[in-house]
Amino acid sequence: MPRSLRIAHLYPDLLNLYADRGNIRTLVQRCRWRGLAVEVTAVPAGDVPRLHEYDLVLLGGGSDREQQLVGQTLRRYQAEWRAAVAAGLPLLAICGGYQLLGEYYELPSGERVPGLELLEMTTVAKSPRLIGNIAIASAKCGTIVGFENHGGRTYHRHPPLGRVLRGHGNNASDGTEGVRWLNVFGTYIHGPLLPKNPRLADQLLRTALRYAGLPDELEPLDDELELAAHAAFLERRLQLSTQQTEGSHSPGEERLPAGHPSRPT
Amino acid sequence: MLLGVWLGKLMAWLLRLTGRRATSLPGQLALRLTPRLLSQLGGQLRRCVIVTGTNGKTTTANLLAHMMEQAGPLVHNREGANLPQGLVTALLQYTSWLGRLRVSTALFEVDEATLPAVAACLPVKVAAVTNVFRDQLDRYGELDGALGKLLTGLRQTQAVLVLNADDPLAHFLGLRCGRPVVAYGMSRSCVQTHSHQQVRDGAFCLECGTRLTYDGFFYGQLGLYRCPACGFLRPHPDVLGVWQGDALEVEEAQLPRVRYHLPVRGLYNVYNALCAIACARVLGLNAEQIAAGLAQFQAPLGRMQAFTTRPPSVLHLVKNPAGCDSVLAAVQAEPGRKVVCAAIHDLAADGRDVSWLWDADFEQLASDPSVVSCVATGLRAEDMAVRWKYAGVARERIACHPDLAEGLALAFAAAAQQGATVHCLATYTALAPLADLLQRREQADASQPAYRPSVS
Ligand SMILES: [Zn+2]
Repeated sequence: MPRSLRIAHLYPDLLNLYADRGNIRTLVQRCRWRGLAVEVTAVPAGDVPRLHEYDLVLLGGGSDREQQLVGQTLRRYQAEWRAAVAAGLPLLAICGGYQLLGEYYELPSGERVPGLELLEMTTVAKSPRLIGNIAIASAKCGTIVGFENHGGRTYHRHPPLGRVLRGHGNNASDGTEGVRWLNVFGTYIHGPLLPKNPRLADQLLRTALRYAGLPDELEPLDDELELAAHAAFLERRLQLSTQQTEGSHSPGEERLPAGHPSRPT
Repeated sequence: MLLGVWLGKLMAWLLRLTGRRATSLPGQLALRLTPRLLSQLGGQLRRCVIVTGTNGKTTTANLLAHMMEQAGPLVHNREGANLPQGLVTALLQYTSWLGRLRVSTALFEVDEATLPAVAACLPVKVAAVTNVFRDQLDRYGELDGALGKLLTGLRQTQAVLVLNADDPLAHFLGLRCGRPVVAYGMSRSCVQTHSHQQVRDGAFCLECGTRLTYDGFFYGQLGLYRCPACGFLRPHPDVLGVWQGDALEVEEAQLPRVRYHLPVRGLYNVYNALCAIACARVLGLNAEQIAAGLAQFQAPLGRMQAFTTRPPSVLHLVKNPAGCDSVLAAVQAEPGRKVVCAAIHDLAADGRDVSWLWDADFEQLASDPSVVSCVATGLRAEDMAVRWKYAGVARERIACHPDLAEGLALAFAAAAQQGATVHCLATYTALAPLADLLQRREQADASQPAYRPSVS
């Protein structure tokens, strides 16, 4: 019998402001419904994250105070993080967790709280907070929907997770949302992110299975309720029709950015 | 000032004449004409009591109002309109056409975010904080923001604070405010024995950031907490409650225990009663006045409100994970089979973000065989349905329709078929329309003798 997929939820006691529990729950159930063995390790604050023992790591969002506590903890293992991410460790970082992956987070006072420096990315806190429903178009899994609530404006030169159709995204100015680099998925979208975006959930699972050296073929599931919630959100909350958004990502967006390593086959 | 008073009073009169509820609009209009009206009217009060916090404000304030009315007349925003315009509307009811306030005592339920704007306008002598749970994140930013607003507001008063000792965030508020505190809390004997995943807000020490340890939980973050690093710990309550089914025994230092009959169900409501009793004691009310007040209380809209429909139904307000978990626990404690019908809206007053659904413990429904069916309705019905699916509720037990009337019809059909009671859970803006639909169904069922159960 193949070994189980190992997911780590980092600091759920500190970083669970936006129901990140829902993301874990979604990954676990989608494995179980397919008969795939999966185990989740909740790594409490203060514990050393043993990155080599996991196939997928989730880092959620917290309030400012909690996030600073996490930032201090994480930076102690910066070298381990860099090595693991370079080796292709799948990482899903949401909101505050996403900001922590960058070089720094600049507070309104001008003080810079250092991040993990895994990405060439910076975040600057500004008023007003960017709050509301959001939809983005991604190359690999169509529309991604959810809710955003962040004071930080994030800037980076990596490929984004998607292009903003409605909402604010990384910085409310360049039309990008999130980051998609190596096997890192970073985003401001919660609500939570994965339950209403089953295609993204499965893309994440396939990435993790591949990294774990397990077969990455996923049996299709009955996603009727999930897709109904996705479509209802697009139509009732963002006045976008499903057809409109399906047609909106042109073939050009499918192309990978220059300088990107070739797509694994 | 008089123009504002007149137009406000006139508007209230017109609204009542046309059969509508006048809870906010008159105050809103009056405030537009006379922005300083709240302090002009509030300044005429001799004393004001404020009830704030995340959950249980309306129930606590209404319980306390009945107790205080035993001692004299009272201005009170009874329907829970807890923004400045709601307070002004309540004050206008007792204001003469010459702008004189005829009553000297007021009791206001105040929204946490509103507190800093109104605290300085009122002679606040007693301020109660029921608890500080996460609530409506998109309105207040994050939890640190809600705490900060409470702190700013309370510091502007000269009040005695009545605080929930079992809530680490409320206790922290007391330490930071520098005002005298009367703490109320539940007895050790009321600790919950089952260990569901707890809502973890405030599970870290606000003084030093270390994880709090608990000797026991009451519900959510309420419990017997202490910080292993800095000595922050749950204080011994000045007013201690021992809950025994439909009665609450209350113990104060040096005084004999007093036993009160409870007009409410569920542990979260027992906390509300205990908070109201603690406030009443601070205000100098005696046991007879408190007991008489409790006896006059009627459960407000959506706080386990029962309807004589066929099948029978009960309406519950839910608005955040902690409140929702208490409601789910109360639903499960009811006898017989249940159909759960959740009406989830995401309008401004509900909070536009419904991610709190994932922090609520719906897993307990999946493992309860007495919950035979779950029907999702409201503007975010589909999100609710997905949440149930991932909680482990079997797909064939989940139904979904965004229209409230259609959703409710599905729930009643399932309940009739299975011999179950319908338990409706509604977010704030879904509550009144759902109550309306249930009332109409109640009337329709009463006028249809064919369905009446046989008398023999
Ligand atoms: Zn401490």
